[in-house]
Amino acid sequence: MAPSPIDVSDLVVSYGRGAKRTAAVRGVSFRVDEGECVGFIGANGAGKSTTIKALMGFVFPESGSVKVYGRTPGDAESRRRIGYLPEVALYYPFMKARELLELYGGLSGMGAAEVRAKAPALLEQVGLAGCGERLLRTFSKGMQQRLGIAQALLADPDLLILDELSSGLDPLGRAGLRTVLQAARKAGKTIFFSSHELTEVEALCDRVVMIHQGRIVRDAPVSDLIRPLNRYEVTFAGLAGEPAGWPDPVRTRDPRRDGADQWTLETDSIEAYTEVLEAIRSADGEVRRAVSKSISLEDDFIRLVQGGTEAAAG
Amino acid sequence: MSGLRHLLLVARTVRIEAVRRREIYAIVLVAVGLIAVVLSLNFFDLDGLNKFYREISLRVMTWAAALTVLVLAARQLPREFEQRTIYPLLARPVGRAAFLAGKLAGVMAAGAFCFGLLMAVYIGGTLWMGGALPWGLFLQYVYLQMVMFLILACLGFLLSMLLSLDAAITIGVVFFALASTITHMISFLYPEADRGARAVYRALTVLLPQLTLFDLSEKAVHAEAWSPLSFGVLAQLTAYGLLFSALYFAGAYLLFRRRPI
Repeated sequence: MAPSPIDVSDLVVSYGRGAKRTAAVRGVSFRVDEGECVGFIGANGAGKSTTIKALMGFVFPESGSVKVYGRTPGDAESRRRIGYLPEVALYYPFMKARELLELYGGLSGMGAAEVRAKAPALLEQVGLAGCGERLLRTFSKGMQQRLGIAQALLADPDLLILDELSSGLDPLGRAGLRTVLQAARKAGKTIFFSSHELTEVEALCDRVVMIHQGRIVRDAPVSDLIRPLNRYEVTFAGLAGEPAGWPDPVRTRDPRRDGADQWTLETDSIEAYTEVLEAIRSADGEVRRAVSKSISLEDDFIRLVQGGTEAAAG
Repeated sequence: MSGLRHLLLVARTVRIEAVRRREIYAIVLVAVGLIAVVLSLNFFDLDGLNKFYREISLRVMTWAAALTVLVLAARQLPREFEQRTIYPLLARPVGRAAFLAGKLAGVMAAGAFCFGLLMAVYIGGTLWMGGALPWGLFLQYVYLQMVMFLILACLGFLLSMLLSLDAAITIGVVFFALASTITHMISFLYPEADRGARAVYRALTVLLPQLTLFDLSEKAVHAEAWSPLSFGVLAQLTAYGLLFSALYFAGAYLLFRRRPI
């Protein structure tokens, strides 16, 4: 069986020395299989970039293991298969975009002619058509990020590791990037990326790995994370008497007053939601607002992170 | 083979940077300006002026090129870390040894370019003043200076891995500036020193590279009194320079090899 593109097991990475030594990653384990698109999310300082740097061989594990295609990070063979976008992408300001791609292509084993042939289309794909001969010091932050994505895709890698994917990109740039990544997915590439744009993670990923305070707190398919969190909210008015006397489906769901004669309640299943609506109508109440409130990955992330922080503080 | 290709590609970026940042041209202009000021003090007869010009020129040019090499070398890695340009480079199948060797080769290429410009000015000036160039000694001087630049470049890399950028440049410059003073001081004090002091002087002589050994400028200026070095001496000096370069480079590599970035 071919080894997984990414296999991290009990990874611990610390920074500093002696009494100042701090663990940035504390026993992280996860795997990314061939062809998967996995989002890696966490708050600032949660350990995302450190984990990614360990995957790239830029920092060294204190314990545990990291394998990329079954090899240790930093191994030339595994790096040949990776396209990497760093967290903050900066490129030599004294070089032209084309020269930079020629440099990176050459270092990846591509011939100069091959890079020259490929560069214009690649630059066009990331929205930098016609910028090949411009010095990089004239590039905006967003343009640098686009160039970063181009260099990551340049050598047609099997695995894309993208740190803070859409950092510095405007909405148009993000939309373009989504198209690029969807094309990469269709082409069978494995994608592992960190992002603060959780809607993007939701839209692109098969699976999400959440990290908090150096530990993995979720590792599940996106669909699993969103489905059980569905909420339905009903705002109504016109029911006679006090809540204690209202029909059971309404009374038992603890309606809260949010106006003179207006109440709101929440249910957590479609069946209960339907039941509530029917009960209100049959008691001559007026349904003013009924929404299927699908809790997003972002809500789940915030809840999880805040819960974790409070638990740690408590 | 791919290691050599990587090395050349990394070296090319250093060379492009050095050329496009125009620092080298500024250094050459300042050096030429200094020489011009000195030449304007025309109080020698023609032969004296010619030698004076050559002596001053070679000294100024050695300093200018040595400082260029030292500063370029010392700032390569700190700049890569600070500007985070190192990540996409080392994300490729490039070993850290090839990366560092490429940086060294690039610094040496930029140093050679700078020194070449200065030497062109020197040769032009000498011929313009009707002086003769002792080609044998002059080429040996150029060659040994390049060996000395290699030592300084490796030292610059090592210091930059041990110290902050500013400290690395300062220590490197102080080392270069005091190298000849230390050598002269040791040879002056040694005969009068007691046993303990002699041991210290001997240790210093062995541990610190004697940069004055690579300076043939006085011989190149007063060529009528000197003949070119024999091949054997040149080979020994080369080996001596390469030994220190290798030691410094290995130190820099050992520190860089496991450095988290």
